[in-house]
Amino acid sequence: MRVLLLLIGLAALAAAQDDDIVWLDNYGEALKMAKATGKPIFLEFRCEP
Amino acid sequence: MLSPKDSPLGKLLRQFVTVRIIRMDTIDIGLFEHDRNNTIYFYLLNADEQIYLRYGGRDNASPDTYLNLESLTLAAAKGLELHAHRPPAPPRPKPDFPKNYSLLVERTFARNQCVECHLIGDYQNLHRQQDGTLDKITHLYRSPDLKRVGLFLDVPQGLVIKESTGAAAAAGVQPGDRIAQWEGKVVWTFADVQHRFNETPRKAREAHLTVDRGGKMVDVTIALPPQWWWSETKFRQSSVEPRFYFDDRPLSAAEKQELGLPAEGFASRVKYVSSTARTMELHGLQEDDVIAGIDGKRVDPDAHTASLYLILRKTPGDAATLEVLRGGKRIEMPLKTMQMSFRK
Repeated sequence: MRVLLLLIGLAALAAAQDDDIVWLDNYGEALKMAKATGKPIFLEFRCEP
Repeated sequence: MLSPKDSPLGKLLRQFVTVRIIRMDTIDIGLFEHDRNNTIYFYLLNADEQIYLRYGGRDNASPDTYLNLESLTLAAAKGLELHAHRPPAPPRPKPDFPKNYSLLVERTFARNQCVECHLIGDYQNLHRQQDGTLDKITHLYRSPDLKRVGLFLDVPQGLVIKESTGAAAAAGVQPGDRIAQWEGKVVWTFADVQHRFNETPRKAREAHLTVDRGGKMVDVTIALPPQWWWSETKFRQSSVEPRFYFDDRPLSAAEKQELGLPAEGFASRVKYVSSTARTMELHGLQEDDVIAGIDGKRVDPDAHTASLYLILRKTPGDAATLEVLRGGKRIEMPLKTMQMSFRK
């Protein structure tokens, strides 16, 4: 079930990316998505005091 | 928004998984190791956490001297190219996490406060100070400036040299060269170069580069000048650096000779005194004063100004006695230092 939810989530994000650039805010999720899609990761560290 | 979706950078970004991190709580700071006084810093990597390149870095003048859309676009394109070809992965650095630093845990996690980047850098230094492993020249001067060795980049073009002066020119670096390797490590961006430059042992006297000169790789050895590692620290929020609230500049060789001071000494002229110095009664320095010595010393192998001597040799709260030259008179002047207080 977890895997299914993850795949649905990834598919939704992938669809969203067709229209715009989606910025995740969770590094672990980015790794999972990169594994699932084969894409590289563009990681930004931003200091927001 | 970093870039419109239909811009060249926007089109490239859509080929990545893009992630923006503003809390460092669970990040492996051993893997993502950089000067924490960068307000923005990028890594391009794959799902196995192999870092292809970095983007970011700063100089004394500004946090964004080396940041612009053209060079970021070049970096993104190179990241995609590297991902397609997968260069061999270097050994992964030892993992390290913010929770490993007890002082950081006390001041942030335990208070449910944000683990800000600069706090990580400062608490790492506080732990080093406690452990006796703090080396100020290495740990405070985290962003050595390429301009100090005479390398001026054409920033929108990435690592292409716009102008070469001083040590770099003497070594044969030419405008139009592109820096390809630094100490044998492939570099693609200014951040890559600054990261490798920062790894240089502070006692090193040479830097070894390979430049791409019209398609031909040329090895270059740059003779590093004294204090090559120096960069401005005033913008940094640091608990291990004594604060004394004046600025100075090194005396020229002619000025030292005229005043009878040693040529290799750290004598400097005061440029600015903050009102904080008077309010806190730290010292009585005035603009144009010459600081000829500190605690009876006039020479230090690592310092080229009196302020640098204080930063390197004193800890916050320490006192010192300045030898000051003012209007032809020699004055012994007491100085107190303070610890910066900036935490919420």
